[in-house]
Amino acid sequence: MQVIGKVLDFSTTRKRVCNAVLRSLLANVTGFTMGAVFTLRLFAAPVLHEQIDELVRAKAGDVPFAETADDASFLRRVTLDLTGNIPAPGKVNTFLEDPSSDKRTDRIDKLISSNDFAVHWADRLTVMLLERQDQGTVPNEQWRHFLESSLREKPLWDLMVRHMIEAKGHGPARPAMKFLGTANHHTMTENIARLFLGMDLTCARCHDHPSVEAWKQSDYWGLFAYLNQTRQATHKAENQVYLVEDLATTKVEFESVFNPGQKTTGPRLPHGKEVEIPAFEEGDQYEKPAEDGLPAVPRFHPRELLARDLTAADNSLFARNSVNRMWFLLMGQGLFHPLDEMHDHNPPSHPQLLNLLGHEFVAHAFDLKWLLREIMLSETYQRDSRLPEGISQVDHTRYQVSSPKNLTPEQLLRAVLRATGNTRYATALQAEHEANAEAKKFDRKGYFTGNNTDLPPSLDEIKSIFAMTFGQSPGEAEVDFTPGLNKALFLMNDRLIQHWLQPREGNLIDRLQKTAEAKEVARKLYLSVLSRLPEAEEQLAVADYLQQNESRQTDALGDLAWALLNSAEFRFNH
Amino acid sequence: MNPASQNLACGSPAHAISRRQMLGTLGGLAGFGSLLHPAIAKQIRNQHKQVCLIWLDGGISQYESWHPLPDSKFAGPFRSINTSIPGISFSELMPQTAKIAHKISVIRTMATKDPNHSTGVPRIQRGDPLDRGVDYPYLGSAIARLLGPVNPELPPYIWIKPGNGGFIQRDAGFLGAQYGVLALGDGRPPIHIHRPEMISAEVDMARDVLRQKANERFTTYRNTSDVDAYETSYKMARQLMARKEIFDDNLLDPKDRTRYGSHPLGRHMLQARQLLEAGVRFVKVNSYHWDTHGDNFNMSQRLVPQIDQPFAALVNDLDDRGMLDDTLVIVMSEFGRTPIINSRMGRDHWPDCWSIALAGGGTRPGAIVGETTSDGAFVDSEGYDIGHLFHTIFTLLGINPQETHYHNKSQRLAIARDDCQPIREVML
Repeated sequence: MQVIGKVLDFSTTRKRVCNAVLRSLLANVTGFTMGAVFTLRLFAAPVLHEQIDELVRAKAGDVPFAETADDASFLRRVTLDLTGNIPAPGKVNTFLEDPSSDKRTDRIDKLISSNDFAVHWADRLTVMLLERQDQGTVPNEQWRHFLESSLREKPLWDLMVRHMIEAKGHGPARPAMKFLGTANHHTMTENIARLFLGMDLTCARCHDHPSVEAWKQSDYWGLFAYLNQTRQATHKAENQVYLVEDLATTKVEFESVFNPGQKTTGPRLPHGKEVEIPAFEEGDQYEKPAEDGLPAVPRFHPRELLARDLTAADNSLFARNSVNRMWFLLMGQGLFHPLDEMHDHNPPSHPQLLNLLGHEFVAHAFDLKWLLREIMLSETYQRDSRLPEGISQVDHTRYQVSSPKNLTPEQLLRAVLRATGNTRYATALQAEHEANAEAKKFDRKGYFTGNNTDLPPSLDEIKSIFAMTFGQSPGEAEVDFTPGLNKALFLMNDRLIQHWLQPREGNLIDRLQKTAEAKEVARKLYLSVLSRLPEAEEQLAVADYLQQNESRQTDALGDLAWALLNSAEFRFNH
Repeated sequence: MNPASQNLACGSPAHAISRRQMLGTLGGLAGFGSLLHPAIAKQIRNQHKQVCLIWLDGGISQYESWHPLPDSKFAGPFRSINTSIPGISFSELMPQTAKIAHKISVIRTMATKDPNHSTGVPRIQRGDPLDRGVDYPYLGSAIARLLGPVNPELPPYIWIKPGNGGFIQRDAGFLGAQYGVLALGDGRPPIHIHRPEMISAEVDMARDVLRQKANERFTTYRNTSDVDAYETSYKMARQLMARKEIFDDNLLDPKDRTRYGSHPLGRHMLQARQLLEAGVRFVKVNSYHWDTHGDNFNMSQRLVPQIDQPFAALVNDLDDRGMLDDTLVIVMSEFGRTPIINSRMGRDHWPDCWSIALAGGGTRPGAIVGETTSDGAFVDSEGYDIGHLFHTIFTLLGINPQETHYHNKSQRLAIARDDCQPIREVML
């Protein structure tokens, strides 16, 4: 009955309370499978994705909604969101022709359990958590391995975050310590507040937040006090860095730059209770003696407490921040936005929805896949990005239409490779590069200045070039993308793009130049690049262009593909 | 400051604007966005002021340039020469600038705080802001943000430097990547400004028409602002490609090249003139290796003429073109050099009393400002910190530094230190 008690806290309408109670009971009684909910629907509460739609509708009032996106748009959207790629042209065809009524749910389920999901979400979480910085001593590959193996199974978000903060340094979760970097106390404090509590506490280091009354300087230093014993130490025999903790004996002192006077705090979470720093008898402070470069292990581990309490089910800040960030990744904006400004002056667009998502996420053991799946099953997610008839302006926070999202650098590269039929070529390039022991270091800066006229020798190098061009600079949150002059120039004039638009056995241009009929060329071109069938007008335009350029058919095909690759339709996940 | 605009700093409305704005100033379309108070945005719109910052990295010696004191105990081997201002002398290493001294102004009592290169360069170029927990923008990014472009077809902030170039975001600090700088490494624009050889101009046009058609279709029934941002980025890219001759130093008049000098600084300053003429708001030119810890005098003999010649030429050219009144030229480093000559015949870092030169843009021609002790080692009148210089620069550009603020999320941030004022003596 504990679950029901919590539901009551979160709910505001009587109906919701009843629904939620029923639903929790059901979950407890039936073991909560989709099938069970479906059969008992008449008297059961709506499932989460239906509740999402209901709350979005309630806020929208008379505002008309766009239709549900058509199958091609849906397929492209879920494939990009779940696997970071556009669908293969063959898959588009199959999906469009599939008559079954539950093909959308099926597709989401297939994609979410694929390996590509793990790879793409490892990208997304890495960019969110590390912000394109290679920090600390854990190599990137190991960090990715940790994320990918979690994501491949049943990723439990609280557990993943717990590993990152505990940073135990041994076992399969060792790479999670990369999140804490080199254990700079202020950086750790600020990152944890921002990324896991939705609080940009930077200015609370020196004083209470000037405009957000709820953000106190003591919140900053309370978090800090969990972390200020942490430092790097190297185990000599293993030659491995650990994040160790020294013995905490006193509270941290801080002083406001505005109001003089020393204050102190022990470890404390925002809205939480201060943890008492235990006093041990002399000689009884340590549970393990010093060892080969690592200091003695104190009996008091504040960082472990932080990992536990931060991610605890009753820390609603963590739950709400988490669901808001996942919502942002799928919907293109947070329920509150900016993502690190969760406070009274920046209220969520849908407060009930935020609470509901937070609560349900907790109730489902922070199962990330479950949350993503529910959001994606909603009409709100599946809505068309075209405006309903007669409407020219929309308020994006009402989710009237689906907001187009810019492709991330990683999505864009995969999509360009797949669209131009060069995925296999790029993978082979990488393998070849790895097998070549004498490969020289590639001059990446020179690639941009023109001093280096070689093509990048590996897929990894190409990824870096895309991240440099299309991503934010290291240390900046990748939230709002700007189209940018340099990005346009790159897609217009870069050698790689030209290279990929040359015919090569099996790639797009090769397949197109072996296709006789213009109509069929258009069909393949649009399926490959835009993941949809061309309209009659577009078919004609393709035929026209090919006719006008009869003497240069191959290049003309390249022009047509280039134009689509550079179109907003391609560069958005719409 | 009305309460509404303060509120705006806290959250979503400000953000909503910046999200839709989506246009990088790197692309040349600096709007007056959410970071500024609207009334102030209005006040400073339509200014045609331009800036050329010449940065002598490492620290030019004031004794071997703007403030020779041949009779003092710290003097080097060089004589001083008369300038076009009676009673004012420069080092003999600056014969060209001496002739136009009446067109420029010199502050001889800069007194700054940081004696280190690594911290000093960003600290000076950011105006030595108070620590507010954010990275302040460098001057060029600040101006790009506050004034936007002069010519909307061109990026507002371009940096000509030896070595590598590209789109560099660091200068923008908290303003965000779009206020970064387009850097011309060795004076050359990024490679992607060039159309690949295999694509002819006609084909390039034809394929762009195809692209635009695709966008038109996509825009139908969609909220256009997001697509517009893409369309604009392509438009700007094409404009820049079409104007790439402004980056082409082969097109510069050989006579001008002789006048500015064939060394990199001379070439780059001539290029700077070309960019200013084309309507770039802020041009920064970097020259390195002014850090003369050893062999200061031979190095100065080689280096100082490299700024003397093109600086005089630039000021004269801007004057001839009627551009000097609206173009502020600044010659400076992160600090000056020690009075004491060390055992390696070098001068070390000296932030306590050093000189910078300004010209045009509303500065007072012929103003030589500041009294030092007779040996030039210390300030003997009012010392000016970098905050004062920033106040001066902003004021000259028509931006009121007392009333203009950045808004970074919930933070209201002064654009220049509020404990400093403009240096009125160098202003008209």
